[in-house]
Amino acid sequence: MRLRDLLRELPIPEQDEARLRSFAVVRAAFAERKPTPQRRHYLKPALALAVIAAVVAAAASPPGRAVLGSLRKTVAGEKRAAPELFALPSGGRLLVNSPDGPWIVQTNGSRRRLGGYREAAWSPHGLYVVAARPDEVVAVSPKGDVHWTLPRPRVRFARWGGSRVDTRIAYLSGSRLHMVAGDGTGDVDLCGEPAAAPVAPAWRPGLPHVLAFATTAGRIYVLDADRCSLTWRSAPFAHPRTLRWSSDGRRLLLVTRDKLVAFGARARPLDVRFFRGVTDAAFRPRSHELALVRGGEVLALDADRLRAPPRRLFRVTGRIGQIAWSPNGRWLLVTWPAADQFLFVRSPRRIRAVSGITRQFGGGAFPSIGGWCCPP
Amino acid sequence: MAGASRHERAWVRGARAGSAADVEALFRHHWPLAYRAAYLVVHDAAAAEDIAQEAFLAAIRALDRFDRRRPFGPWLHRIVVNRAIDWARARRLRAEISDDGTIERAAAHTRPGAADSDARALAAGLSALSPEHRAVIVLRHLLEYTPGEIAELLELPRGTVNSRLRRGLDALREAIGEELQ
Repeated sequence: MRLRDLLRELPIPEQDEARLRSFAVVRAAFAERKPTPQRRHYLKPALALAVIAAVVAAAASPPGRAVLGSLRKTVAGEKRAAPELFALPSGGRLLVNSPDGPWIVQTNGSRRRLGGYREAAWSPHGLYVVAARPDEVVAVSPKGDVHWTLPRPRVRFARWGGSRVDTRIAYLSGSRLHMVAGDGTGDVDLCGEPAAAPVAPAWRPGLPHVLAFATTAGRIYVLDADRCSLTWRSAPFAHPRTLRWSSDGRRLLLVTRDKLVAFGARARPLDVRFFRGVTDAAFRPRSHELALVRGGEVLALDADRLRAPPRRLFRVTGRIGQIAWSPNGRWLLVTWPAADQFLFVRSPRRIRAVSGITRQFGGGAFPSIGGWCCPP
Repeated sequence: MAGASRHERAWVRGARAGSAADVEALFRHHWPLAYRAAYLVVHDAAAAEDIAQEAFLAAIRALDRFDRRRPFGPWLHRIVVNRAIDWARARRLRAEISDDGTIERAAAHTRPGAADSDARALAAGLSALSPEHRAVIVLRHLLEYTPGEIAELLELPRGTVNSRLRRGLDALREAIGEELQ
């Protein structure tokens, strides 16, 4: 009997489905790759110059001037916007990531830049901030003092979880998921799990240290990080974007390019809803109510009734960037890059707008939100 | 074989230059055996999918560094089998709840008859082996590497490869009850 034939003919489950899923991931990864340069092309710069010249000529014409006027109106934003972020409407402290580095905004509006880091996130009780340099994880105090650093290649998505006295940080080094204790010791490639998708891992609030992350295949793994025991692993969901735990740790929301998936305590989702175009999501503290960003809208949906019609909370012209709930769950911060504004929304009629955000956080590109943390 | 390797070099060259069609050709040619090899080592469909996929992603990322004079297959198989062994070792160290099919369940899908009993017996025999033994069996008898090549791929002494092969085959022979080639 020939072993080769037996091994080649042994039926393997899900082979065709797995091949299709994997090919979609490989194709997407390949599309993001820059090909090896072959030779210089002079056509593209020439085309770009021609396009710029055409746009300038069109803008100079009377109809063109009219179009530009309407564009300016569109992005002008909320008219009664405050020129400075004088104070946060609710308690807590806001972490803002600008191209200059992370900034902490106190309740009274005072701002402090922490240093030349990126992608900063709060520790669970706001005692520290974890941030990244291209090849380093850095823990700093809110005053900007460096607590510790850990050199690792291609660091992204550092997230801090745990209790006040026992914390862990998960981060990606390339596509490998790592975990390090809150004092910077004991860094490990977490349990040899499969490569992680470029999605921030999410700690379940509180203890034990339970982490959810998405693999490149789109599976969600939930594991007890200290014991390296896998609690559950979901079926694959293509193109994962965001993972969020509710504050009671009983719901986990996965946002993909075209789905919302609500998980409870096991791998089988509580509900899956086809819902294209959601780019950010946030659980309201102490509830299972979700705020979702889709284009220029903020929608509200209950994670326990995912198929119910969503309520529109808010709408702007252009696209919304991110959302973040205040620690008490009463205010929603909505970033509006096209208008260069932060909007603090309590209800559609109660909005506090702040303009000139890019300038206030060091210039360059519009900043992102690292979190609105816990009252001191 | 020479034709296949000529095609393969052309695919790698095309992929480096940005051709999605050549990446697809590489994927179609190599993925089935990569997935099968991973599955036979880890006995877990989801993990095998992740391992084969990661191996391809690693290959895509390293295309620019890849030596085009060398064949693509062994490079990919080295990644797949080593990751599969790592995964299987890690799983031994942790409790896990898996709702995926096992290799035994896969064998149950075969049609009734002599082939069915052989598949079941082979599945049972493989399950009883350690991941390290399964890996050398898979490399030798599925992917058809010589013991010398396996030693190089797994960075093991050749004697270790030979002894694992011998022990693995003995165990499978016992499970199947027939002489294996």
